[in-house]
Amino acid sequence: MKKETMGSEAKPLRIRERKAYRFPPGYGDNKIVILVRDPWWMFSYWEIRKEKQEEIVRKIETSGDSVSRSVLRVYDVTDISFNGKNAHSYFDIELKGLASNWYINVNTPDRAFVVEIGIVSKKGIFYPLARSNMVRMPRFGMSDQLDAEWMMPEEEYWKMFGLSGGFGIGKGSLEVREMFKKRLEEQITSGGISSGASFYRKPSERKFWLVVNCELIVYGATEPDAKVTVQGKPIKLRQDGTFTLRFALPDGKQVIPVEATSNDGIDHRCITPIVTRKTE
Amino acid sequence: MLKGYLAIVLHAHLPFVRHPEFDDFLEEDWLFEAITETYIPLIEMLDGLERDKVDYKLTISLSPTLMAMLMDEHLQTKYLKHLDNLIELSEKEIDRTKWEPQFNRLAHMYNDMFKRARYVFADQYKRNIVLAFKHFQETGNLEVITCCATHGYLPLMEVERQASVRAQVKVAADFYQKIFGKKPNGIWLPECGYNPGDDEIVKKEGIKYFLTDTHGILFGTPRPRFGVFSPYMCRSGVAAFGRDTETSKAVWSAVEGYPGDFNYRDFYRDIGFDLDYDYIRPYINSDGVRINTGIKYYKITGNTNTKYPYDPDVAKSRAADQAGNFMFNREKQVEYLGGQMADRLPVIVAPYDAELFGHWWYEGPQWLDFLIRKTCYDQKTLALTTPGQYLKKYKNYQVLQPAFSSWGWKGYSEVWLEGSNDWVYRHLHKMVERMVEVANTNRNAKGLLARALNQMARELLLAQSSDWAFIMKTGSHVPYAVERFRGHAENFDELYNDVKNGTLEEEYIKKLEDKNNIFQDIDFSVYCT
Repeated sequence: MKKETMGSEAKPLRIRERKAYRFPPGYGDNKIVILVRDPWWMFSYWEIRKEKQEEIVRKIETSGDSVSRSVLRVYDVTDISFNGKNAHSYFDIELKGLASNWYINVNTPDRAFVVEIGIVSKKGIFYPLARSNMVRMPRFGMSDQLDAEWMMPEEEYWKMFGLSGGFGIGKGSLEVREMFKKRLEEQITSGGISSGASFYRKPSERKFWLVVNCELIVYGATEPDAKVTVQGKPIKLRQDGTFTLRFALPDGKQVIPVEATSNDGIDHRCITPIVTRKTE
Repeated sequence: MLKGYLAIVLHAHLPFVRHPEFDDFLEEDWLFEAITETYIPLIEMLDGLERDKVDYKLTISLSPTLMAMLMDEHLQTKYLKHLDNLIELSEKEIDRTKWEPQFNRLAHMYNDMFKRARYVFADQYKRNIVLAFKHFQETGNLEVITCCATHGYLPLMEVERQASVRAQVKVAADFYQKIFGKKPNGIWLPECGYNPGDDEIVKKEGIKYFLTDTHGILFGTPRPRFGVFSPYMCRSGVAAFGRDTETSKAVWSAVEGYPGDFNYRDFYRDIGFDLDYDYIRPYINSDGVRINTGIKYYKITGNTNTKYPYDPDVAKSRAADQAGNFMFNREKQVEYLGGQMADRLPVIVAPYDAELFGHWWYEGPQWLDFLIRKTCYDQKTLALTTPGQYLKKYKNYQVLQPAFSSWGWKGYSEVWLEGSNDWVYRHLHKMVERMVEVANTNRNAKGLLARALNQMARELLLAQSSDWAFIMKTGSHVPYAVERFRGHAENFDELYNDVKNGTLEEEYIKKLEDKNNIFQDIDFSVYCT
């Protein structure tokens, strides 16, 4: 915990009291959103209005059918304008419990997808509750599209690919793709200071440890206006004439002459502690 | 004979962390450590290059949040206090280590470093070190580029991809123009997160290039002719530069990377943790939790807990050797590439987080200094360049649609979209939707209403910083990141309701303007669609 500054910053303002904010469980929307995570996975979150859900359930029941399960229907809509029926293919993910988000493994880079959340009836009819935005998964691998202006032999492309990826000269597309996947899993960024992430490996010894160090405190007092040296070096006295010095104490013998001379230079005292440290 | 170019790009960024309500705030130390350990050593390096008339070329991206903090008086004052504390501690250390010469010289080293930092910060640049980078840009050697306004990770930012991507780019470009007196030449897309089409938005701000990770180029369409060794033109007319892998690994890799050299300073052994509690108490966090002070006496030593004292002379000579090795490998690289590049010379783009240099890798600024000087004087095969300068060398570049990519772990969005942080997006997207809604319905807002809308824009931008999701994933400072995200969402929500209900309160708006005071000239109409 921190202390609040009681300075000018804290002058009271007349502000209407406001409730501490918590994220709402929903915004009253009826929608589903998909986001690309990587070439194989996407993330989906949704919110379905209760009325919408009830309306669909009624519709199913009045048709003499009944509710079977909630699903995400994932449509491959690559290069088509999707109308709900013309997808290249689709697959369903059955939703369990009160999920409001899902990671979807489509496993096909460079294809476009739309997701609908909906209810499947006992008779197997799908009733959508909401339709998502469309996303295109990233391509993973080199494009097949060649540029007439910048053509070169196939193996030359793979050579440049290998050199760029830092694994020398690639041999074939499959092998290089695998190598590239490995390259991406290496940590070659730091994440900066704010991450507090340990960036270079830490020692991997067993965890138990012990450290012992010694320090020596030399302290004393004299007339506040006296001049004092310790091991020949002048030191500052506190206003009341006391002093404290702190030293890391290595093994061996330390001779520590403390010399004081009165302000008028007449009186002189010297005390010399001798300290020996030995570590076994 | 010249065979190719090397473009080193440093990306400097920290999230906006400013807490005037506290005397001392743990997360503000991120900035203070980075100033002392990274930004000022880099400035000293650039000063030295200028003094010695070295005609170097280097690129640095300064994120708007970082610049805003560096130019903020409250944080400047706090930084000086922080630095004076460190100077005091290093002086005590000089006395305490009197009988241990191997540590005593290091106490002197830190004392010198902190005092030099104070001189550079307070005397040379009058507390505003952004002016240093501005100066080096004006000498023609440093290319300063921008980043998105609050380092928002663009691929996950919004579904419609209009308003908030544009705002992140435009607010950043305007902020840059205000400071540097011209439009930025290039932009560092946060985390190199590129989503096809975002280049159109970049183009509208007059920005000429951005950087992507290697696969952004390699997996682009059509097939790239030059690997990552040439920029490519998006159809929008903006150029994309891809990251070279070899140079990344040489520095980043935990296994093969230079910073892991056993002679280098160990980051983890800090006197904030090592010394007696009563002694170190005044120099750690005010709540008594031990933290790094920046004074570290040991070298990496090896894969062991028994560490030996750091020897700066040995470390410096290792940095020189490794810089030589890096340069040699680049010479070989461009020589080899020479046969593959038809009519042009290859460019190797080597981007790094700036905070790697000095903060994590203490010898990093020395390594960079050696590398720049050696490249300028010790050989003729390789020349330094900046992306902006390389783009002027040839009349045409292959047209390419870069692929969706980032430089995060695994190359896509998983770092910012996984179990620990995926919950933020439904709220962020809703905030964008609401921002666009109230911006559109209040286009001609004036006075208090305009202030409320502008503050909403600030709160939204701050909530969008990729740092919060990143911290939630990496696991330290998580409560802080969650609270920051929640806090901006709260401020946004309160303002949204006040705007909608006509219940604006000047005092409340003023309080938020004072606290989250970034982008003082922001105009909410950037969200109008």
